[in-house]
Amino acid sequence: MGTGDAATASDQYAAVYDSAQFQDLQRRSNGFIIWASVVFYGWWFTGVALAAFAPGVFRQGIGGPFNVGMLFLFLSFALVAAISGLYMRYARTRLDPASERIRADLEGGLR
Amino acid sequence: MTDFLAAPPPPVDNTWASPGIATGIVLVLAVVAFALVVSVRNRVRNQNDFFLAGRDIGVGQNAMAHVAGGIMYSTVIIIIGHVALNGFDAVLLLTAFVMSTVLAVLIYAGPMRNVNAYTIGDLFAVRARERPARIASAVITLVIVTMFMIIAVGSMAFVASRMFTTSPTVDAPIVATVVAIVGLLAIAVVYIGGMPGVTRVLVLKVSLMMGFVVVLTVAILAEFKLNLVNLLNDAEANALPNPRGDLLTTGRLFGEGATVNSDQDPWVHLSKAVSIAIGSIGMPFLFMRFFVARSGRAARQTAGWAAIITVGFWACMVVIGLGAVALLGGDAIGKVPAHRDITLPKITDDLGGAWATGALGAIALLSVGAIFAVLLLNGVTSVVRDVLAARGRTLEPAEELKTIRRYVLIFGLAALVFGMVMLTQLTHIFIPTSIDLGAACVLPAVVYSLFWRRFNTAGLMWTVYGGMAVTLFMVTFSNGVSGDPTAIFPDADFKFIDFEPGLVGAPLGFLFGFIGTMTSRERNDAAFVEMRVRSLTGATVAARREAVPPATPTSLNGRDRAGRTLSEAH
Repeated sequence: MGTGDAATASDQYAAVYDSAQFQDLQRRSNGFIIWASVVFYGWWFTGVALAAFAPGVFRQGIGGPFNVGMLFLFLSFALVAAISGLYMRYARTRLDPASERIRADLEGGLR
Repeated sequence: MTDFLAAPPPPVDNTWASPGIATGIVLVLAVVAFALVVSVRNRVRNQNDFFLAGRDIGVGQNAMAHVAGGIMYSTVIIIIGHVALNGFDAVLLLTAFVMSTVLAVLIYAGPMRNVNAYTIGDLFAVRARERPARIASAVITLVIVTMFMIIAVGSMAFVASRMFTTSPTVDAPIVATVVAIVGLLAIAVVYIGGMPGVTRVLVLKVSLMMGFVVVLTVAILAEFKLNLVNLLNDAEANALPNPRGDLLTTGRLFGEGATVNSDQDPWVHLSKAVSIAIGSIGMPFLFMRFFVARSGRAARQTAGWAAIITVGFWACMVVIGLGAVALLGGDAIGKVPAHRDITLPKITDDLGGAWATGALGAIALLSVGAIFAVLLLNGVTSVVRDVLAARGRTLEPAEELKTIRRYVLIFGLAALVFGMVMLTQLTHIFIPTSIDLGAACVLPAVVYSLFWRRFNTAGLMWTVYGGMAVTLFMVTFSNGVSGDPTAIFPDADFKFIDFEPGLVGAPLGFLFGFIGTMTSRERNDAAFVEMRVRSLTGATVAARREAVPPATPTSLNGRDRAGRTLSEAH
């Protein structure tokens, strides 16, 4: 690739990257991803470990045919839907407006 | 999941199949599918249309197609039998598949679409030298696609054997005929319709399969007058007793003694669950759903809605599995791993009769055929966009569709023939092995590419090939290859690993990537900055801009034209 163009391109990316607007976007995006992953996978891996090493916990009845393990499964399913829904909403309201502005600024010169 | 294709299955009295009705419905479905494919034929004008449907698939359709990509013989028919047999622990394993969809929502979907990728090679190439990046992508993609295609052919054979003949054992001529016809039809779908055609077939498939599963779920709940407590009580009361635990509590798989010839419980099923949760969504053929979305945002919504649909779909499968044992009793359902796939046909027959099992057979055949088509398209995409690109070859625009379609024929026929030859072998370890590669190679390579500033070519090589080497090493010495009656070499015993390699492979993949990166002097902060900006915003500036078709008016400006020439050159 032509060195002139490449240099221009990476200068433009660097300028965007250093901007307060982008740093803010990145912080929010990474923040959500990290927290959601830790909470979500932390929850589920704990459950799997309980099933493997402390089955007594999951076997405790909580009325009728239900037990703690089934409650865990139900909450895990619910959590998948909740995290997916929350992230779509968070991204739509907190990430997309900023990322669209940055993209328009960056590509604006080309249009 | 390791015992997926445990074969040759012991004879079973096939009381459910209605081959005549199933064949009739299949013919109708084939006509509908081909009408859909032919109707989009004219939308395939260039390479971008063929591989990515012009990146113009709407969120709703794409989410449905994404769910369809994960619906296979093993993930529906076998897993329902698994739930009926092993209850709580099987459901826990099943949730692992659902868990993995979150990884796509949070990490894979948006960034992959934002960098305008055709394959994961495009993502790697931002952070590493182009040629090794594309070769790494080709190796991962083609290894996984090949293993899955063999499994897909095997799945066609299983559907044929269970639903298109009432023979108690494998009726070889019928099975071979069905497999050959379905395989050829799947190749024709890809050949004619490319990505737009395949997407439509996937949407057809998933609509029918979800409709079927929902109707069956409602029918089962109706048997219990919508009383879940009665359903669970009956399931527990009618289940076969198992010394490791009751049906509705943990122990049947996670307890000591669940794995044959092994003292590694409960690590065996713990590692399966973890590997599936982090690896099963890391399949290159699933990533294509994100590449065809209209924007990064649309890709993220595709993954998000797909995750939510998946939750509902798999919850239905739990009800069906437990309902089957509650209604039919423990003796009627599949009692050995090789017979887990008779439970769904039996409960279908019990509640709906011959027409219902005929419909199930037809939908199942459409499902596995569609998976074969998806894999074929993904394999050819990788050949053209990774292998040819790594060798510096680009297709002439005038000839590109012809060349791509020739690859579809070659790749498709080779896979079909090879898959049919492999029918005689016990290949059930290929799915878990692919999932392990998703955990040990794809996940670390993508996470490092997206988020780690220091990552470089050497790091990518170490991650991909190191992760692959340890995975294949562990698989070779696992109970899928020897030391187990259902292993590839049941008479030999050189296994020492019963747990799923992904549990160890994923951390090692990350470790290798770290070592490889730190021992190399290559450092490219500009590439990291570019990746961050592009993956978060979808913005591209001239030098890396994707090829724009000449008809687009925005390409009239000088800098953009320069950008296009540059990106076409690599």
